[in-house]
Amino acid sequence: MTREEANRLLHAYIDGELDPAKTLELEAHLAENPSVRAACERLREMSAAIRDKADYHAAPAWLEARVRAAIPAERKDASARPIRWRWLTPAGAMAADWLRPAASFAAVALVTWVVALGTMRPGEDERITQEVLASHVRATLANRFYDVASSDQHTVKPWLSARLAFSPPVADLSASGFELAGGRLDYIGAQPVAVLVYKRRAHLIDVFVWPVEAQKTEQTLARDGFNIERFAKNGMGFWLVSDLNRNELDDFARLLAEQGAAP
Amino acid sequence: MLAADSVLLHHTDPVPLHKPVSEPKRRFEQLVLPHFDAAYNLARWLTRNDHDAQDVVQEAVLRAFRFFDGLRGEARPWLLSIVRNTFLTWLQINRPADTVGFDDGLVELIPSDEDGPEVLAARSFDRKMLNEAIAALPLQFREALILRELEDLSYKDIARITDVPMGTVMSRLARARRLLAESLGALSNISGTQVHK
Repeated sequence: MTREEANRLLHAYIDGELDPAKTLELEAHLAENPSVRAACERLREMSAAIRDKADYHAAPAWLEARVRAAIPAERKDASARPIRWRWLTPAGAMAADWLRPAASFAAVALVTWVVALGTMRPGEDERITQEVLASHVRATLANRFYDVASSDQHTVKPWLSARLAFSPPVADLSASGFELAGGRLDYIGAQPVAVLVYKRRAHLIDVFVWPVEAQKTEQTLARDGFNIERFAKNGMGFWLVSDLNRNELDDFARLLAEQGAAP
Repeated sequence: MLAADSVLLHHTDPVPLHKPVSEPKRRFEQLVLPHFDAAYNLARWLTRNDHDAQDVVQEAVLRAFRFFDGLRGEARPWLLSIVRNTFLTWLQINRPADTVGFDDGLVELIPSDEDGPEVLAARSFDRKMLNEAIAALPLQFREALILRELEDLSYKDIARITDVPMGTVMSRLARARRLLAESLGALSNISGTQVHK
């Protein structure tokens, strides 16, 4: 990779938009070139500074009230042509013209679908929360928690690494009363992820692990009687789901962040 | 009855209480209005003042309601694309001279960053300088930067909202960051702060 190309790709890299192959190439280049590495760090700093310091202009409350009031109770011009995303190619646009009568029926169906979907997935985090929760519940229902059942981290880690594009950190926390029980694979947020399963008395804890770009802040929440916790460390994101009580799950998360997140 | 309604609707009060809120309006409020702040933030950064941002957002949200059937996928990027289109219309009517700056020719005229992005150390500029420097960016770079850094949108969403290919989004972001670094560097020089080079 040339220096020019590396510099060009740095932006996509820090924005988490570079494909895996180019990412590997660029990271190899970064490892060899301290000056490009420094440029990358400065870019990251600048991006972080903008996020941190640039004004986010929240709307004044009275404006939202005024706009809400101005929205008519009924839509008068329902026949108006909808604004579409303009990602269609010219050929696609022609096809769309041709299909318009069918499209209006489809639009009604789609709006219904989007509304149903919208209530389920307001954002990326919410979607992942639901996916990890669903994975945990499915495993419980099917009583199939592991693809590899082992309390030995040196068995679980290679098994997962061999099947994923990354190697998840697997910690031995048995001294603190959290036994490793095994691991499995799942598919969360449109990517294959590692799931480590730990045991505390009769409770199972699912730890979902996958590489993340940004260090997201820690978060805890409860959903449908399960406790969920997430944090990121050393480039890996961790989502914990369990029916274990909040205090013990907090302890576990802390131990994991301290010992388990080391590569 | 009709007369009373029209009087009420011109008021800034919420929808008249005796009238049940219609199904589309309720769905719209649930799905789209949670993104009202995002709409305002974008409009505010595009217009660069509160008053115009208020006008643009109000118009954009009413338009969004009319075109609610056109919503595909996520509501936030969809609403932001309408805010942007509304802003461009507003710009043509109110500031026709400024639309000249909205030309990507500028991107091609300027050679790409040959020797790497020389971004100064981020600690060396303060909030006010940063906000002013972003506000001073040409429109197409400013909007790409705001959508990426403040709205945390993907290149794909930004490409749809700003109606350009993803490669252009990338080059606009690179250009935006470089321009910002340069202007902040110049600002720091003036104020005598240490600049990383």
